[in-house]
This record gives sequence, C-alpha cells and structure tokens, in this order.
Amino acid sequence: MAEVNMEQLLNCALCPNMCRCECPILQVTGREAVAPAGKARITALVRENQLDWDEDMLEAASNCLGCRGCTIHCPFPELNLCDELLYSRMTAKAEGISLPFLDPYLNNLRKYSSPYGQKTGAVVTSGCEAEVLFFNGCTSLANNPASIEATRSLLDRAKVSYKMIEEDCCGYPAQVWGEQELARQLAAENRRKFAAGGASTLVTNCPECWLTFTQRYPDLGQELPLEIIDGPAYFLRLIREGYLEPKKNPNGGDLEIISYHDPCIWARTAEKVDEPREILHMVPGLKVEEPFSSGSCTRCCGGGSMFQLSFPQIASAIARRRLEEFSKEAQIVTACPFCREGLLQEGRQVLELVDLLERSFK
Amino acid sequence: MVDALHTTLQESKTDQVLIDRYAGEAAEIVGAENVSANQADLLSTCRDYWPVGNIWRAEGSVPALPQLVVWPHNTEEVSRLLALADREKIPVTPFGEGSGALGGVVPLRGGVTFDLKRMNKVRAIDEKNLLVTVESGLNGALYEEQLNHAGYTGGHFPQSLRCSTVGGWLSCRAAGQFSTRYGKIEDIAVSLEAVLPDGTIFSGRNVPRTATGPRVDHFLLGSEGTLGIITSATLRIWPLPEKRRLAAYTFERLEDGLEAIRLFMRAGTRPAVVRLYDSQETGNHFPDLGDERCALILLIEGAAKIVEAEASVIEDCVQSRGAESAGYKHVEHWLEKRFDISVASMLFQKGAVLDTIEVSTNWHNAHSTYRTMQEALLGVEGTMLVSGHYSHVYPEGAALYMTTVGFPGEDKIAYYKKIWQVAMKACLAEGSAFSHHHGVGLHRGLWMAEEHGTGLDVLRRIKKALDPHEIMNYGKLGLGEVQKWQK
Ligand SMILES: Cc1cc2nc3c(=O)[nH]c(=O)nc-3n(C[C@H](O)[C@H](O)[C@H](O)COP(=O)(O)OP(=O)(O)OC[C@H]3O[C@@H](n4cnc5c(N)ncnc54)[C@H](O)[C@@H]3O)c2cc1C
Ligand code: SF4
Repeated sequence: MAEVNMEQLLNCALCPNMCRCECPILQVTGREAVAPAGKARITALVRENQLDWDEDMLEAASNCLGCRGCTIHCPFPELNLCDELLYSRMTAKAEGISLPFLDPYLNNLRKYSSPYGQKTGAVVTSGCEAEVLFFNGCTSLANNPASIEATRSLLDRAKVSYKMIEEDCCGYPAQVWGEQELARQLAAENRRKFAAGGASTLVTNCPECWLTFTQRYPDLGQELPLEIIDGPAYFLRLIREGYLEPKKNPNGGDLEIISYHDPCIWARTAEKVDEPREILHMVPGLKVEEPFSSGSCTRCCGGGSMFQLSFPQIASAIARRRLEEFSKEAQIVTACPFCREGLLQEGRQVLELVDLLERSFK
Repeated sequence: MVDALHTTLQESKTDQVLIDRYAGEAAEIVGAENVSANQADLLSTCRDYWPVGNIWRAEGSVPALPQLVVWPHNTEEVSRLLALADREKIPVTPFGEGSGALGGVVPLRGGVTFDLKRMNKVRAIDEKNLLVTVESGLNGALYEEQLNHAGYTGGHFPQSLRCSTVGGWLSCRAAGQFSTRYGKIEDIAVSLEAVLPDGTIFSGRNVPRTATGPRVDHFLLGSEGTLGIITSATLRIWPLPEKRRLAAYTFERLEDGLEAIRLFMRAGTRPAVVRLYDSQETGNHFPDLGDERCALILLIEGAAKIVEAEASVIEDCVQSRGAESAGYKHVEHWLEKRFDISVASMLFQKGAVLDTIEVSTNWHNAHSTYRTMQEALLGVEGTMLVSGHYSHVYPEGAALYMTTVGFPGEDKIAYYKKIWQVAMKACLAEGSAFSHHHGVGLHRGLWMAEEHGTGLDVLRRIKKALDPHEIMNYGKLGLGEVQKWQK
C-alpha cells in the first residue's frame, strides 16, 4: 500500500496556503479547516501522534475532491495532497473513527457493489470474444443510462468488438471513504472478472474509474493485465481511423455554441485536454467556446471523490460556482458522469461527449 | 488518547456556559451550520503564518485556541454577532486567510473567532468612476481575477495575493509588489464599511476626497481587528495597462542602486515594480548575475507613451550611477517565481528558523539601516545568513526587507526572540520605522511604545472609546499586555 510521504505532507502543513484560491471547497464554504494546508496541518498532527483522530478532524480531512486544483499554484511538484490525505485517512478506521453519514453508501457498496444501491438497468453485452471491455462505472449506471446507450450505439456503429459486463464498483468510493480492505476486495474481484473475459483493452468513460484502474490498483497489488484507455482518447482514435464520421446535428442551428467542461482528472492527472477538443472540432456545425477557466487550469464541478453522495450541499454549491464560468448560450459538454450530474442545475442541459457524438448521427 | 493540544499563550478563556449560550443565539443569526466548536475548526483558526506557530506546531502545541468559530455572510450578520458578543463581553478575533506573519489572529483570550471568508462578493464595479466595492472576505487572487475579467486591475499584488483577503490587506495596511505605481492599500482604499463592537455599522463616502473632518472609516485602516470589523470597501481600480516594459540592471554597490532609485523617484517617475537586491540575494535569485553586484529590477506599465517617457528618464538616472544593463529576462524570471516561497517550508524541515523583517527607511538611512540590522542579526549565535532588498519606493525613502536564516539547535523560540530584539533595536536606533507593511500583530506589540511614544496612548484612548469592553482582538497592536510573550 502506498505510504504517506511525511516530508511532502509537512511541506504543505508549513505552507501559508498559497493555492487556497483554487480550492473549490474552501471557496464555497469559507471554512479554514478545509483549506489545503489546513487539512495538511490537521493530518500532520495525527501522523506525528500529537492528536488522535476525532470525527470532526476526519470530516475536515475528507473534504478533498481530488480535483488537484491546488497543483495549479503549488511549488512542490512531488506533492499530491489528495493522495497524502487519502492515505492518512486510512488510519482512522483502525482507531475506531469513521464518518457515520457514509455508512449507508458503504453498506450499498458491500451489498450491491455500488455506492448507489441496487443496480438498475444493467447493460450486459456478451456472447462474443470481444477485444474491448467497456466499463461504464456506477455513476453512469445509476444516473445516466442514456449515455450508456449512446456509447453502445457508437461502438456498434464503429463495428468495435466489445462487451459490457455486470459491473462491480471499481472500489474508488471505498478508498476515499477510508475502507481500504473493501477497496482491495472490489479490485481483486474486478481483476478476476476482467482477466477472465479475454479482452485486451479496457475502456472507460469515467475518470474516477480510470484513475483507480491505472493508479490505485497497482497500489493495492491488483495491477490489471489489460491496456487501459480513457473514453475521449478511444473515441478520438475511432474517429481518426475513420470508424466513426460525426455529422452535423440536424436539430442544431447554423452554428451551435459548445463549451467543454474539462473534468479535473482528465485535465490534470491524465493530462487529456486536447483529445476531447479535437473530437469537438471534428463534429460539423459546432462553435467551441472556452469557459472562463479550462484545460489544465479547469475548475472542479464539485463531483470528485464521491462528493455528490458524501457532501451533497458542498458539491452542489461548487457546481453552481462553476456554472457561472459558462456563457448562458453555450451547450455544456463534458466527459465525466460526475461532472454531468453536478452541472445539471439551474436549468442547464449537459451532454457527455458520447451523447454529443451519438446525437450527430441521428 | 491525545485529544487536545497544549496552548502556549492562552491568557484566559470565557465561561463555557456563556459560550454555549452565544453559540445558540449566533446559530439563530447565521444558521447552525455556520457556528462551530469542533476541534478541526478551532485548530485551524488559532494561528496564522507567524513562524512561532510553526515552531510550536512541530512541538505539538498551539499559541491559543478560540472556543467558537462563526461564519457571517453579510454586514448585518456581523453587526448582530458583534453586538451579542459585546453584550456578553466575549472576546472576538477577526480571521481573514491567516497569512499574517505576526500572530495577529491568535485568540489570546479564547472567545469567538469570526471567519470572514463567506463575505466574498464583488458588489459592484463602477467603470465610470474607476471604483470597485468588494466584501472583505474575498481572496486576493480571486478579486484580481474578477477585475481582470472586466478589463481592470486592482493594482495590489502582495506576495500573499493568493492567500490573503481584501479585509486582511486593509486591516494590516498591506503593500503590494506593484505599489510604487498603484500605491499601498491605504492609497487604493477610497472608503470602508465597518462594524464597531457594539454593532454600529458605518461607512465613508466614495468621493475622491473630503474636508469634512477626519475620515472616521479610515481609522480602521491598519487597526488589525482591534477596533472593529471591516466588512467591505470601495477601492480604486485601473484599466489593464496598455504597455509593460521590463528592465534589469546591476550596480557595483547597494548605495549606487539606492541613489539611482532616489533620483528617478525625485524626477517623478513611478515604475510599478522597483526591487533592489543586495549581492547575496542577487546571487540567490539570479545565479547568472553572480553574487558580487546588486541587481535592480524594474517593471514600468501604463499608457504606452508614458511608459516610454518614464523608461527614458529612469535610464538616465541609473546610468548616472554606473548601472550595467542586464536585459529583461531577470524580470520575467521574477514575475514567474514571485509567489514561490517553498524554500521556507524546506528550510524549516531542516531545523532552520527563517523570518523576514520589513522596515521603513528614509533615503538618508536606507543603507545604514540595512548595515546595522545585518550586523546585529549576524551577531546572534546560530544565524547563518542575513540578506536584504528594497522594494516599495517613495520620493522620501524605501521599504527595506531583511531575510534571516538561523540554525539555533534546541531552543528555537529563544533564538527567535533574540533575533527580533536585536533587529528592532537596530532599526529603531537608526530612526527607521519598525514595520513597513507586515503590521504589528501580537509579536511586534512589544515595540509599540518605542515606535509611537505618546502616540500609543492616543491609540489606547481611541481603542477605549470604540471598544470599551475590550472585546476586539485582545493583545494586538501593543494594546493589552501579553503576559506569556515578553521580550
Ligand atoms: C508568503 C507571504 C507573503 C506576504 N507578502 C506580503 C506582501 O507582499 N505585502 C504585505 O503587505 N503583506 C504580506 N504578507 C502578510 C499578510 O499576507 C498580510 O498582512 C495580509 O494583509 C493579511 O491578510 P489575511 O486575510 O491573511 O489576514 P489575517 O492573517 O487573517 O489577519 C490579519 C489581521 O487582520 C485582522 N483582520 C483580518 N480581516 C479583518 C477584517 N475584515 N476586519 C478587521 N480585522 C481583520 C486579523 O484579526 C488579524 O489581526 C505576506 C504573508 C505571507 C504569508
Ligand atoms: S498544496 Fe501546495 S500550495 Fe497548496 S497549501 Fe499545500 S504546499 Fe501550499
């Protein structure tokens, strides 16, 4: 298991919060305890055995979206505050400290392998020796079955040999909620299922799942024996190779104004800011307009680290703040089920990239 | 089980029954979710960037803890919360973003800390009159961002831009890195809106100037939370500059650089950034310039024709003092690195005590203050490095910013006190003022009597009139004795 890097955590605890302007949680709550260095200080006190966890401190240290907005201004390139907080929080359970408001979601995870509860509308495609295993993720399954249909339709259109399976959660929620053992079990189960299917490539539209498969599974000793590709890069490849030829949206006006919301993980962790834009530029009839902050300096929608379940009011306030960065006329497009869910407020319509692509064929 | 940290400077606390009752009434004003006595909230608002806080943190203690934190959302709420605290004589400490460097937010008597960051709106940008009205809890970088978006700049860029609030700037009389052109925060502030301890809300007028008696709203500038709470302010703004010119020079001696600056300020130029480094800092910041000469970096901005004219006058002045041109790349480098203070955290982890001491000098003693302070600081056992630069220049003088690094071994606090004692003594002996922009906070209160003489008594009388129950930020600005923090 990855260990807390004490030197980096202390660098942060000693910093006067030089990145606080980019911490969306701090900006909507105004609460000093959730400032980046505020969380690092609390966590460092516990790590250095100067204080034991209590529920309030654990709650404050859990107030991290994993958006890595803090890295925009952070002078320590090796510091990953999100990870340091995540690894630090894992010790709380051993001390008998947990956050009771997470219990229902953890119970869902244990019982249904999804934090959202019983899975509905399972979308299993099997029967073939598929090369590509497409993983939708719990959030799409729970909130946006239409995007799964769009994905399936695109893959069919491109004649991809793929399958979708009865999914278990990738385990990310268990990790962010400090349940390392549960995360490991889910990872092991997924690894077994993925390996059994014979596919050589795993594609997912969900950045949290992608992050978990590529970066957390190795930490959990469950490295996947498949090539893992993010949705935007995969669909771009299909377009570039001529398997998909997007058309003009027949319902759109002369030029439809589109603004792409960069999901934080795609933009800052995977460093995928060009791929989605390239796709947008390949769809005829769109005028792409950047929101106030974008690319690697994008601002979070509030949906990271399962906040829509664990801290719904904060998630929603952050999404409203982010929406202010888009022009009222623009159709918002994103490439993450959490972002879509979060930004669906104030009467705004939000499409995922796959929805937009699929729409162009109708 | 370790469930509480030792407090080193706590003078007293308020009866818990009173605090609980206050919490209940405060919840009715701001909502229960905006009142907290939870340990995470108390711990995080108990200190600022005073290096002593970090020394104690490493030892597992904190200076002092509040008993409650409240988050008001608007002026009306601040007024009701303050009046309530005043009625019950509960100590109040305003908290912005805790970037103060002198313990200004340490709640020596416990009580209630007002975290002001929910008051973070730009209320209006008045393009015709070049004014903005902004709430005090707004973060500096987000303030500037909103202005830039509308085509303006606030002209105020402290190194703590990204980690300080507008209210913190006003309360501490802050100075930004571009201050030679745009002015310090008191030049930028047209009017303030503030709340007195008894809940009275008052504000100044947004006219360019008045001769209608003293500007009472301006009393709050630099009051560091001891007289009331600043809730919003109307500040000057400028259209984004048409042109920016960068230039760097080196001088053989620091005195030559100082003289060159004096000459171009006397000639009436106002470059936004003027920074003159001693040879050590020149070597640290710009290794390719070596560590034998003193670098001067300049940034001139504004209307293109004015910028060109200023550049020409400045060129004549620096050449007259034997400057060598170093191009513009060093200024670009400074612009890129100017918010990077990572070295402070790294040195701390290696056992160093690092602090910066900024003082205000006139031209006649600008250089001698540097020499005297440097000598005094190097005389303290454990000190490894003392360097300095000048920034924020005026026709009558310049701010001198000393950086000192020492490895004192065991008793870091004793060493810390010692370096400040010798530095303040040297500064005051030279006739310079002991702070240019960091303010006084808790720590520098120790020298307020020497700095102000009978002026401190005037300040005490104002304090007594406005805050008769002494609820506001006890022990700061030298107002109130801090038993546990003596010279
Ligand atoms: C890395 C770094 C660089 C810095 N660079 C500069 C610089 O270039 N120039 C400069 O001038 N300073 C600088 N400072 C010092 C500091 O940032 C300033 O003093 C800043 O103005 C403090 O703002 P804050 O919001 O963090 O205030 P805090 O630290 O939260 O509070 C400072 C004091 O003001 C009081 N206060 C805060 N808000 C209010 C309010 N609304 N009403 C009444 N009282 C209030 C507090 O009680 C406290 O006494 C720097 C600090 C750091 C850590
Ligand atoms: S993440 Fe980086 S910039 Fe932010 S508080 Fe920590 S060390 Fe400072």
